[in-house]
Amino acid sequence: MHKFLIHHKGDHVGVAVQDIAAGETVIGVFMDDESTIEVRAKNAVPLGHKIAIAPLEPSKSVLKYGIPIGYSLTALEVGDYVHTHNIKTARW
Amino acid sequence: MNQQLFGYRRENGKVGIRNHVIILPVDDISNAACEAVAKIIPGTLALPHAYGRLQYGEDLALHFRTMIGTGCNPNVAAVVVIGIEENWTKIIADGIAATGKPVASFSIEGFGDLEIIRRASWKAKEFVQWASELRREPIELKDLTVSIKCGESDTTTGLGSCPTVSQAVDRLVDAGATVFFGETSELTGGEHLIADRMATPQLREQFLDMYQAYVGIIKSQGVDLLGSQPTQGNIAGGLSTIEEKALGNIAKTGTKTVIGLLKPAEMPQNGAGLYFMDSSSAAAECVTLMAAGGAVVHFFPTGQGNIVGNPIEPVIKVTANPKTAASMSEHIDVDVKGLLSREINLTQAGDMLMDYMCRVVNGRMTCAEALGHREFSMTKLYPSA
Repeated sequence: MHKFLIHHKGDHVGVAVQDIAAGETVIGVFMDDESTIEVRAKNAVPLGHKIAIAPLEPSKSVLKYGIPIGYSLTALEVGDYVHTHNIKTARW
Repeated sequence: MNQQLFGYRRENGKVGIRNHVIILPVDDISNAACEAVAKIIPGTLALPHAYGRLQYGEDLALHFRTMIGTGCNPNVAAVVVIGIEENWTKIIADGIAATGKPVASFSIEGFGDLEIIRRASWKAKEFVQWASELRREPIELKDLTVSIKCGESDTTTGLGSCPTVSQAVDRLVDAGATVFFGETSELTGGEHLIADRMATPQLREQFLDMYQAYVGIIKSQGVDLLGSQPTQGNIAGGLSTIEEKALGNIAKTGTKTVIGLLKPAEMPQNGAGLYFMDSSSAAAECVTLMAAGGAVVHFFPTGQGNIVGNPIEPVIKVTANPKTAASMSEHIDVDVKGLLSREINLTQAGDMLMDYMCRVVNGRMTCAEALGHREFSMTKLYPSA
């Protein structure tokens, strides 16, 4: 059973649809083509929060819905919990 | 969705789904008289609010537009208007009377509250008895004006409840209905997506001007919206940035061409279809403006659990967040958490929402109506003189 969903192939993050525990290996489903991905969560990710599914260097656009939702403040690694501590809006 | 719909066809041909007799204060100091009338005459509804004195310019125009639009809304059968003085009271009463519906107006100066409450109560009693004999008649989807706005959003809104509303928006527009969306500042990060859906290059330019003007007001305050947009509730729900919030928000607007732009509380003039209304993203303010523009039923996707209602426009709450659906179930009309577990698909979720909307059109009270949520919040553009 999947524990997270990804809006778009090529996105850097998925969204937990159940609480994910640190160290847990979880399956995500891409909503655009139904394919799946397996990721080991490095941190706990509560329902509704984001998990990195691709590595990203600092100061790069973070994609969700195939569109930038801000930029990375630090390097992101697969399985990282992604939120306001490591990404920021590009608008204000 | 095979239900026959029934609504109230008003004097001007517009169709409502509720049959309110409202007691409308022109200004803050007339609230007490309006509330007194509503206590004396059961079945009437006072709409107290905070403003209406010493406003000027565009802010005053918006005040009048909101007052008049609220009275004109087809969910309203008849209106008693009470203000402190005669001139502004008459402007509002005349604006509403243009629909052909019964309107009576009273001004308090020279008489006092008690005499005006007595006179207005006689009129309110007459209106409520008259309205009680109005009957619903068969209507169609194309007769409806529907508004959409989400609140206390989180990532589940973009995954589930907003795409569900999107399904309904496309079906309604295809059926010939009119739909409003708005929330100008909450398009930030996806404003280009909405600009690309404008019917003409002129409309596209006007839309981008409207958007830049709103963002310009925010910037003119010398602050940014970090901490306000996204809200603390949004952040608790997993939304990290305004762009992420905006993309979820936009996910509820369907796929249709936007045929017109509306000022706050403005009624559409270009016929049926999808309109953008320049508006605040604050829930009660936005729904109040959209109801004043003529919307008779509202779709409200929520993630963390916004509880807003409106006195004259039923608000239908939709959530895909399983925690919210369980912990705040009394506020949730349509539960589409099955989208997250993938037990239902979007078409099925759209069917659920349309079926529920039809029941609400035909008279079922929404959760917000049953819980007495009647937030009537005027938008104020700048300080009064």
